[in-house]
Amino acid sequence: MFRNNYDNDSVTFSPQGRIFQVEYAAEAVKQGSVVVGIASKTHAVLVAIKRNAEELSSYQKKLFPIDEHVGIAIAGLTSDARVLSNFMKQQCLGHRLTYGRNMPVRTLVDMIGSKAQINTQHYGKRPYGVGLLVAGVDDHGPHLFEFQPSGMTEEMVAFAIGARSQMARTYLEKNLEAFADCGREELIRHGLKALKESLVQDRELTIDNTSVAIVGVEKQEDGTTKPQPFKVYDGQDVSAWIESVADNAEAAPAAAEGDGMDVDS
Amino acid sequence: MTSIGTGYDLANSIFSPDGRNFQVEYAVKAVENGSTSIGIRCKDGIVLAAEKVITSKLLKQGANKRIATVDRHLGIVYSGMIPDGRHFVDRARDEARGWRDNWKTPITTKDLASRMGGYMQAYTLYQSVRPFGITAIIGGYDSELETPVDGEVGSGPSVGAGGKVAGKKHGGPFLYMVEPSGLYWGYYGAATGKGRQAAKAELEKLDLSSDGESSLTLEQAVKEAARIIYVAHDDNKDKEFELEMTWISGADGPTKGRHMEVPEALRKEAEKYAERMTAKDVEEEEETKDSGDKMEE
Repeated sequence: MFRNNYDNDSVTFSPQGRIFQVEYAAEAVKQGSVVVGIASKTHAVLVAIKRNAEELSSYQKKLFPIDEHVGIAIAGLTSDARVLSNFMKQQCLGHRLTYGRNMPVRTLVDMIGSKAQINTQHYGKRPYGVGLLVAGVDDHGPHLFEFQPSGMTEEMVAFAIGARSQMARTYLEKNLEAFADCGREELIRHGLKALKESLVQDRELTIDNTSVAIVGVEKQEDGTTKPQPFKVYDGQDVSAWIESVADNAEAAPAAAEGDGMDVDS
Repeated sequence: MTSIGTGYDLANSIFSPDGRNFQVEYAVKAVENGSTSIGIRCKDGIVLAAEKVITSKLLKQGANKRIATVDRHLGIVYSGMIPDGRHFVDRARDEARGWRDNWKTPITTKDLASRMGGYMQAYTLYQSVRPFGITAIIGGYDSELETPVDGEVGSGPSVGAGGKVAGKKHGGPFLYMVEPSGLYWGYYGAATGKGRQAAKAELEKLDLSSDGESSLTLEQAVKEAARIIYVAHDDNKDKEFELEMTWISGADGPTKGRHMEVPEALRKEAEKYAERMTAKDVEEEEETKDSGDKMEE
């Protein structure tokens, strides 16, 4: 049987110049449930599908606050994500202590990028088996970054990672132009609609399996801007948003109208 | 590939019976699959340019920079595995800062190339690490001016790292390219990544080595750099790309001795020139097809 000799560790190049261990780690991200992130001029949102191991168990958290102004969504090995999350929290806190202000999002993301790169170049280490979407605000406004196990980090307008995330990405690509000018509510709805695209048949968004997080800068009435800290919403708090994107949400008013005209029955 | 199945290519730092380190050669393969980067050294400065292939529509335009500033007068661009490149840049920044701390003067381009060449080479020596999957182009403009050393007491040395020899020409633009093996050379024009063959052929046509009238100026070099990236991208036409360019001039030039992004207006102008020239090339291609094939060697 064919055996790949070049995939045992992350310090061996294949003859084509690939590192299979890193590519396999990227597969672990695809095992995780889907998360979607979108950034507009004023907000960045993260939405996620949570999974439960069995009927009676609780749902695994997918969205984590890092600091007042940053949060992450995870897909892949949760325990690896926790390591990165702790590291990010420490860095943000350290930055706040020394400089007295929020850490720029790019700086933070670059730090986990370098941290993850080292795991791909040294024997005895393994790449992180988790992908992240990092949403945050800084002096330059809202940002959304994608982090991969390879250590690759890229700023995106919108993105989705995890199982069947291609469907969500297709939705995002189709609506790409609209995002920049979206308000907070509109952005969440786009996120949830993208999330629904990636749902397995017969599954739907419920208040138990859906998480939403928002961070942004809100325009005040006097024209000044005020930062809106990263906040995660679960359970009953997301029910209104789920209802607003339900399949019959748009159809409902039309149906009501139809009822009135349905004189024959 | 004769190396496969011999076992000599399964770990880094292992010599094969004919004296090759296959893992380093495979790392070069990673570079050859990466997007194209080039560097041009002309008489009054340096231009670095990178082809950024757009892998997804969802990427934020212009946000993901590939050319890094290492010190105020130094820039690095790389092809191959991007995370490796970032690590390399981090290390280069550490070296540049360390040099300033120690010697109270900015590191010269040559010294940085030497330090980074040594760093890359160290990753070919041990089974516990793998070589870097990048080739990096280091560009810098070492000051020709008599720069007072930070915190200098007295006149300082008259020769050596902190001093200047009277009557001798000091400083100027320099360009180096470091490979995964740690090997580095100085260049007038350097190219790496997928489109390196085409880019090299174009670079060789430019007059970069003389200081005479016909030699390229910095602004011309910016335009040529844009054109060369466009030419190098030609084989990969189905994918869209973004062009990123930086430059470094002397203290009396447009960047005042600093490494910075080429201003948008000039970049747009260069891109127009590149589009015009590559469109013209397509017409001529039919006639010169035979000689074009030989260039591939």
